[in-house]
Amino acid sequence: MQDDVVIELKSAWKIFGSRDKEAMEAVKSEGLGKTEILERYGAVVGIADCSFNVRRGEIFCIMGLSGSGKSTLVRHVNRLIEPTSGEIWLMGEDVMKLSSTALREIRAKKIGMVFQHMALLPHRSVRDNVGYPLEIRGESKARRWNVSQHALGLVGLEGFEDRFPRELSGGMQQRVGLARALACDPDVLLMDEPFSALDPLIRRQLQDQFMALSEQLHKTTLFITHDLDEAIRLGTRIAIMKDGRIVQIGTPEDIVTNPADDYVRDFVQNISKLKLIFAHTIQVPVNDYVPAAGEDLGQSPRVSEDVDLDHLVDIAVTTTQPIVTTNEKGEDVGVVSKDRLLQGIKGGK
Amino acid sequence: MSQVLEEAPEIDLSDSIREFSGSNSDYYIEKFAEIQGTSETVNPWNMAAAVLGPVWTAARGMWTMFWLFTIAEMVALVQIGKGIWGDLGAEKRAEAAGFLERADEIRRQAAIDAAAGDDIEPSLQIAHNLQEAAENSMIAAEALGSTWWIYLLVGLVLLGLLRYLLGRYANRLYELQYSAWRVNTNILSGFNWQRIGYSVFLLLLIVPVTLYRFTVSTPVAWTVDVPADPNVFTVTSLWLDGWFDSTANMGQHFFDAIVLATQSVLDGIELALVDAPWPVVALLLVLVAWRVASIRVAIFTAASLAYIGLMGLWEASMVSIVMVGTASAFCIAIGIPLGIWFSRSERAYTAARPILDLMQTIPPFVYLIPIIAFFGTGRVPGVIATIIFAMPPVIRLTALGMRQVSPMVKEAATAFGATPRQVLMGVELPLARPAIMTGVNQTILMSLSMVVIASLIGAKGLGQEVLIALQYVAKGQGILAGLAILFCAMMLDRIVQGRFQRQEDH
Repeated sequence: MQDDVVIELKSAWKIFGSRDKEAMEAVKSEGLGKTEILERYGAVVGIADCSFNVRRGEIFCIMGLSGSGKSTLVRHVNRLIEPTSGEIWLMGEDVMKLSSTALREIRAKKIGMVFQHMALLPHRSVRDNVGYPLEIRGESKARRWNVSQHALGLVGLEGFEDRFPRELSGGMQQRVGLARALACDPDVLLMDEPFSALDPLIRRQLQDQFMALSEQLHKTTLFITHDLDEAIRLGTRIAIMKDGRIVQIGTPEDIVTNPADDYVRDFVQNISKLKLIFAHTIQVPVNDYVPAAGEDLGQSPRVSEDVDLDHLVDIAVTTTQPIVTTNEKGEDVGVVSKDRLLQGIKGGK
Repeated sequence: MSQVLEEAPEIDLSDSIREFSGSNSDYYIEKFAEIQGTSETVNPWNMAAAVLGPVWTAARGMWTMFWLFTIAEMVALVQIGKGIWGDLGAEKRAEAAGFLERADEIRRQAAIDAAAGDDIEPSLQIAHNLQEAAENSMIAAEALGSTWWIYLLVGLVLLGLLRYLLGRYANRLYELQYSAWRVNTNILSGFNWQRIGYSVFLLLLIVPVTLYRFTVSTPVAWTVDVPADPNVFTVTSLWLDGWFDSTANMGQHFFDAIVLATQSVLDGIELALVDAPWPVVALLLVLVAWRVASIRVAIFTAASLAYIGLMGLWEASMVSIVMVGTASAFCIAIGIPLGIWFSRSERAYTAARPILDLMQTIPPFVYLIPIIAFFGTGRVPGVIATIIFAMPPVIRLTALGMRQVSPMVKEAATAFGATPRQVLMGVELPLARPAIMTGVNQTILMSLSMVVIASLIGAKGLGQEVLIALQYVAKGQGILAGLAILFCAMMLDRIVQGRFQRQEDH
């Protein structure tokens, strides 16, 4: 196993129902589909044959609509839900083989989780909510208070330590949730649609704050969302789920430029490509380019082939010439004409 | 806006009303339109309903109305029946006959006594009085016999009123049924001869027998007497007696242990409350109320204690508080863990639910008897009876409260590595506390309501005061002791709840 893989799921299945084991056997031997399993065994497939790995420091987004199994999937990582079959590895440990004590140990020390509906303890102050994971670990009160103070500072909630969660707005409550997840200084953050219940403006603020924190703390994050924009904004890589299966895994650019099927294509259709597609994807090799009348590549502006479309547009409006791209050595490698640029913005190649 | 209001086309309901009503559709289309067409309340008259009464409601599938009106009409019909055929003076005449018979008997006895040379004057006087009473009864019987027309009139008016009501509201009710039917087609609709047949059959079955039973003065025995075999009752109760006796014998050590344990708890608290000097106890109670709850509760406690003291019910009250406190403590100590268990295990709860119902509904007198068999008389069995009666609410409400704890919060705690025990203590119990405290409150109040019954088996205290008052019909004494029970209950409850509320406020 690679050193830098933090979370790995291998062919994980979850079938809900009293006859889940039988159904699982049938899936393995006969390759039954979702509907047949429901008909024959009265069992519902939660996730089907999901495999992926998350590398150290990356934000891995799992995107899917409601009912696609993404929340079920994330709960397999800390075994809040037991898989019917498959392997789960966390930092080189086989999670499925852990005793319940060892599992609790891992949950308490290595994993922080943030929930869609915050799930704060209403009878405890903000400070004691953030300190709760440490309390479970048996830390002293002084240490709990120090750490929660610090964690609340990280999410910008100084001065609210002695309030109750109900006195805070939704966005602030979720920041408490984030502080609580950070409080035990976990290696892994599991975020189950943390910003979905918030209004768009607050959501955007929290996304920014989370990205800044993520840069600062380098937590490996598994981030669940139903919002592709959010996935693209935050994700190092994205997995797209449909009906319990992972349809495609890739970088935001991969997903947008090479959708695996019509389902993903539908999703990415209305996504702005400006920041996702780079010059090297749409450029024509400089040797193949035939200048049109009045064009002179000698007068063209030159930019790195790694800039995104947004940047290219900014340059294109200042000149009538096509743009020439250069590699890291400063050599001309490609040409982006206005036609190419417009096609690129629409998502074509 | 006005476009939507003004230009809305009329929808045509006639097809669906036709489908709903089954027969006589045009009539109902017209009536429903009348009802729906105005914002006023209109009640168009329905002759068929007025004439046919319950049969109409049945034919239209309104069975609830059928039963309501059948029962109401039975009352009217019985009055009419009494007026026409009833022998209204029969009861008084029978009474008179009884008096006369008794008078004759006394006279015969007097004749014998006179022959023996005894003084028969008092006997003759009694016989004379009885004779007079018999005459009075005969006069009353005559008077009653002439009131037949009142019954008839009342019955007829009542019947007329019922039919009028049905005729007046039938269309409205039917329209409501139609509206409900549009959403839920399982609701009965249409017109159905089978339903008419069924309703007529039911009416034929019920009406004549009931009329007969209520109007004839000496009805045939089978309409009055429930068929019963006294042997079954005797044999079963004897068998139960034997079972109780043998169980009590076999489990003697077990029951003695329970008695001993309860007794020592009781003695401990009683030592503090009853034997300590009263000013100390009173001061302590007020202080506890103040520290634990609030100054208002403390004032209330002081006032209650003053009442109890002035009325001379101090010792009785303390004894009752000890008993109720002990019973409540046991209830809470046993009930909360049981409630937690029942909130986890659906199967256990399903099994326990009938037992809980039983504990709450069986009259305490019924289990007082076996309790005496097992535990003897005195305070301990009183406490045990109180526990049986007062425990269900705290169990039920604990189970309910635990079930209502947000599963998301529990999941969050688990995700941070909490053990099941930590989830229980740190999340579930605190979040279920409002429900649990309501249960505790119910338990305390129900315990206090048991003090009178517990005193039947020898528990002393306020209950005994009430019981004595009951025996001598001492109204004043009863009310004063009853008020003391009320104040004790409120004191205990306010102190316990006050603690809880203060924590909530923080």
